[in-house]
Amino acid sequence: MSVRNKTSGRDSGPGRQMLRRTLFMMAVCGIAVFLLLLARLYKLQIIDHEYYEQLAIAQQLRQAPTSTARGTIYDRNMNPLAVSASVDNVYLSPAEIAQYGEDKELIADGLAGILGLDRDDILEKASQTGSWYVTVARKVEKDVADKVRLFKSEHGLRGVRLETDTKRYYPNSSLACHLIGFVGTDNYGLEGIEARYDEALSGTAGKTVRATDAYGTDLRMSGFENYQPGDAGYDLVTTLDSSIQYYVEKHLKQAVADYDIQNGAGAIAMDVNTGAILAMASLDGYDLNNFLDVSDEVKELAAAASDKEEKQRIISQAQTRQWRNKALSDTYEPGSTFKIITLAMALEEGLVSLSDGYYCPGNVNVLGRSSPIRCWKDGGHGSQNLTEAVQHSCNVAFVNIGQRVGAETFYKYCEAFGFLELTDDPDANLSARTGIDLAGESGSIWWSENTFYSEKNLSQLAAASFGQTFTITPLQLISAVSACVNGGKLMKPYVVEKLLSSDGEINYEREPECVRQVISEETSSTVRTILERVVGDMDEGTGRNAAIKGYKLGGKTGTSEKVSLEAATGQKEYIVSFIGFAPADDPEIALLIFLDTPSHESGIYISGGQMAAPVVGRMMADILPYMGIEPDKEEGLGDVTMPMLLDKSLEAAASTLKDAQLRYRTIGSGSTVTDQLPAAGVTLAADTEVIIYLDAQPSQDKESVPDVSGMSYDQARDTLSYYGIYIKTTSPVTDAGRQSVISQSVSPGTYVSHGSVVEVALYDDDEAMLGRY
Amino acid sequence: MRYESARLADFSYAEKKRGRRNCDTSFFVLVLLLLVMGLVMVLSSSYARAYYDPGNVTGGNALYYFVRQLLFAVLGVAAMLIASRVPMSVYRRFSMHFLVIVIIMLALVPFIGVKANGARRWLGVGGLTVQPSELAKLGVILSFSYLICKIRTGMKTVRYGIMPFAGILVLIVALLVLEPHFSASVIIVAIGGVMLFLGGVRLVWFVSAFGLAGGAIAVVLTFFPYASSRINTWRDPFSSPSDEGYQIVQSLYSIGSGGLSGLGLGGSRQKYLYLPEEHNDFIFSVVCEEMGFIGAALILVLFSLLILRGYWIALHCKDRYSFLVCAGLISLLAIQTFLNVAVVTNLIPCTGISLPFFSYGGTALLIELFEMGIILSASRELTNH
Repeated sequence: MSVRNKTSGRDSGPGRQMLRRTLFMMAVCGIAVFLLLLARLYKLQIIDHEYYEQLAIAQQLRQAPTSTARGTIYDRNMNPLAVSASVDNVYLSPAEIAQYGEDKELIADGLAGILGLDRDDILEKASQTGSWYVTVARKVEKDVADKVRLFKSEHGLRGVRLETDTKRYYPNSSLACHLIGFVGTDNYGLEGIEARYDEALSGTAGKTVRATDAYGTDLRMSGFENYQPGDAGYDLVTTLDSSIQYYVEKHLKQAVADYDIQNGAGAIAMDVNTGAILAMASLDGYDLNNFLDVSDEVKELAAAASDKEEKQRIISQAQTRQWRNKALSDTYEPGSTFKIITLAMALEEGLVSLSDGYYCPGNVNVLGRSSPIRCWKDGGHGSQNLTEAVQHSCNVAFVNIGQRVGAETFYKYCEAFGFLELTDDPDANLSARTGIDLAGESGSIWWSENTFYSEKNLSQLAAASFGQTFTITPLQLISAVSACVNGGKLMKPYVVEKLLSSDGEINYEREPECVRQVISEETSSTVRTILERVVGDMDEGTGRNAAIKGYKLGGKTGTSEKVSLEAATGQKEYIVSFIGFAPADDPEIALLIFLDTPSHESGIYISGGQMAAPVVGRMMADILPYMGIEPDKEEGLGDVTMPMLLDKSLEAAASTLKDAQLRYRTIGSGSTVTDQLPAAGVTLAADTEVIIYLDAQPSQDKESVPDVSGMSYDQARDTLSYYGIYIKTTSPVTDAGRQSVISQSVSPGTYVSHGSVVEVALYDDDEAMLGRY
Repeated sequence: MRYESARLADFSYAEKKRGRRNCDTSFFVLVLLLLVMGLVMVLSSSYARAYYDPGNVTGGNALYYFVRQLLFAVLGVAAMLIASRVPMSVYRRFSMHFLVIVIIMLALVPFIGVKANGARRWLGVGGLTVQPSELAKLGVILSFSYLICKIRTGMKTVRYGIMPFAGILVLIVALLVLEPHFSASVIIVAIGGVMLFLGGVRLVWFVSAFGLAGGAIAVVLTFFPYASSRINTWRDPFSSPSDEGYQIVQSLYSIGSGGLSGLGLGGSRQKYLYLPEEHNDFIFSVVCEEMGFIGAALILVLFSLLILRGYWIALHCKDRYSFLVCAGLISLLAIQTFLNVAVVTNLIPCTGISLPFFSYGGTALLIELFEMGIILSASRELTNH
């Protein structure tokens, strides 16, 4: 470096001191500070790199769960019960509306028009300028969402946004609502199969990792997006049969209307041999697609309520009630239907036989009870054999049988049938569940062993023998009764048969699970035979109203009084029930219905035999042919087919009708048949009066259907045929004068053409049948 | 490049006759290199904000800031070339006039200045804005150099070596406090100090000046709440990552996530509206994020080379005035560079200091290049060696 060596002087260069100080500045400003900065950068960028990188990524990347399609729920015939479809959520980004100066009024007007929402409400949402996300409408259908998209693009609105979501649709609305259940707005299953199999149905959500700007918007220029697909949920194939479910619900609803049932009703149809649930119904039901919607009556009640809280309370109470699956969650005293179990255990233990004789004087004294236990029939059943005791549903005989079995053996069998589980604590109340794959199953409640086994007080055992003083679920009863008639195997009830992956592969297939062999095949066969006589014996069977033409049914009635309610309020309320199975000699299906609190004003005597049995009969009449079980032709008496009479002479027609067991009347005055009512081939009751037209035509006017309920079958047949309408019944006609019409397939006042057929259900009005059995 | 810069740096026969020669090529090339890099980084860092346009400034034009900066860069290079052809004697003659003009401008700012972000720092002239404080830095360097040469041996005395300079600084700082403009005050006092240090003031004054500055800072921190909260934020920016600490936290995210080799030019994610002032005071954060430690170090090395070359030119000036002006200007550049990088790396408390040649700001860039032109002018008049 050559620097001038002058220390001073005008126009001279820097002096020696300046030189030194400049070199110092050079060292500091040119080198030292930069070394300091490089060290600092090294610390931040190399040593602490990962720390800052993670913090930066955490703010730059947004993870959004991507919805995977929720699996479809099918019935056993692959009819969809619950399906998911893609819908859109519409939301606003008010911050962006403000940022881009978009017209809030325009947005509010547009969206209100498309979505049918309140304009001011949307306007208020659009004004929340601090927010980036305000939901306007959830789960908007595709066609509506497309309109929103069009509106958005027409006006170039950045503040109106859509995001994909899924919505659950239930094609059958309320059918099997309690069994299927529903999902909430966040797509979590809340009830039924939807809740129990939520994990399998929903799969695992995928996620999209996106780089976003500070406002959470996707980077538009240097986009970074990583999509990790989730696993789609499994499709479920259930054991449910939509048709059987439909029949069950149809007749159950009819029964609720006919008997003015106060507290709902339930039904279960089970495959006797596998434990598969074919149908499960609980009334009142609700539309799965609008599961929050309550009945009009509740709405009226809520509208009348004074304050908002009360209103809300009424509605949410009604919702909870309508969502409750009575067949699974309600426990009840089964009453006489439980006699099947007592019978089975006594037979299995060899304590009773078909040849035993039982005498019923009308009541029986029991150790530990102040008053004797009365039989439902005043004066008693007198002498009877075992089959008759069951046919009569005789309480006295069953108290006797129960005492032969003994308390400990009784509980041992109750445990084997799945009603209770014995514990180490003899003072604990006992309970059990079937373990069905559904959410919300209740457990039974039984006396503790010490109470039940008391040698000084046999009243518990006595009452339990005919199904009182303990509570079980309908599901437990039908499972146990199925075991009694299927050869002795207790099958674990289930509703989901298969899990299918999204490509249709079977991921899991359930095998029917036999819990244990409870009774022998032989005992089971005897139980079947006896129970068949309860329905099939048209003179002695208390279940004879369940009989249908062409099929042999077995079954048992039940009428249980709500004892604790009566003790508390003095009101007499009953649950009437019937459990049936068919075909009686080789059962395939068991059917249990229970009707909670029939009205005393329905005009029909409150008992399982009068009310529940005919309903099961009608259900079976629809279900058995559907299941492909051929009716026994020889049993199908009472129905005839209308022959072809056209162009015949009056004499020839008359003789043809005589052969066909039909009566006739004529209209017109010719000698040749020009028309007939009903048309040829129509099935109708024997001894019906048909119409022959001689040189005349039937009137084209429609006829109003008369009300024939309460009439005897004879009267109903003749009343209808007077109007040119014809009668048909599924019930066996054993005494056309005594059996009366309980319901008709076409409601009174409906206009139908001449020649139409009205189907009626009959029940036996025998005075001797009046009693709680 | 070499050919072109040589041609640009050519000078006329008349100047040759007056003993002026080619300007310093290395210095010139370093300036151009940094300028080009700065332009690229303005483009890269600003286009996201320009495109999103959250402040309704750019109308969504992604090139908005870049095009403006490019325009001023072209004007600035022209200004630099012109300045390099003006003999040092001309600057010397008008040193004090320039100072007076600058002080008048500073005095006008509180009255007719353009207000932005709570401070009035700009003067607007037909759509252009200029910060008189930028010109004040140049004014201090030119006038101090002139006065030091005039006073010469008197620099050792308080009356001549301290009083006039202190008077100028107090006046300027007082005007800046009115705006208020803390960072400019600091830089002006610092550059004034550097000038006196080079001018030969006794070291004892500097020791006492440091003590005085410490007291002054304490006073400022007590009476200007925004300054003291900045100290707290500096010590622990993560204590308030969403308000006071937001800028520095975002800056540290940017720098830290760059790592060794960076996310690649244009690859910054932090510039998507996370990092405030990303094309301005915090542009170096984007450099670090995109170019990594390697790129950032390279740029710092270029700055270092430029500064060393600047001092080298100063040391070879044939007269004291040119020496002081060159050394002052290059020290100013060094101070600005250091303070900016120190702020974005949270080495010192956050304050608004732009990075020479990189930060967006047209008139500031124009002034910087003009100052480099003065150094180039001095480099034409070096002693023989």
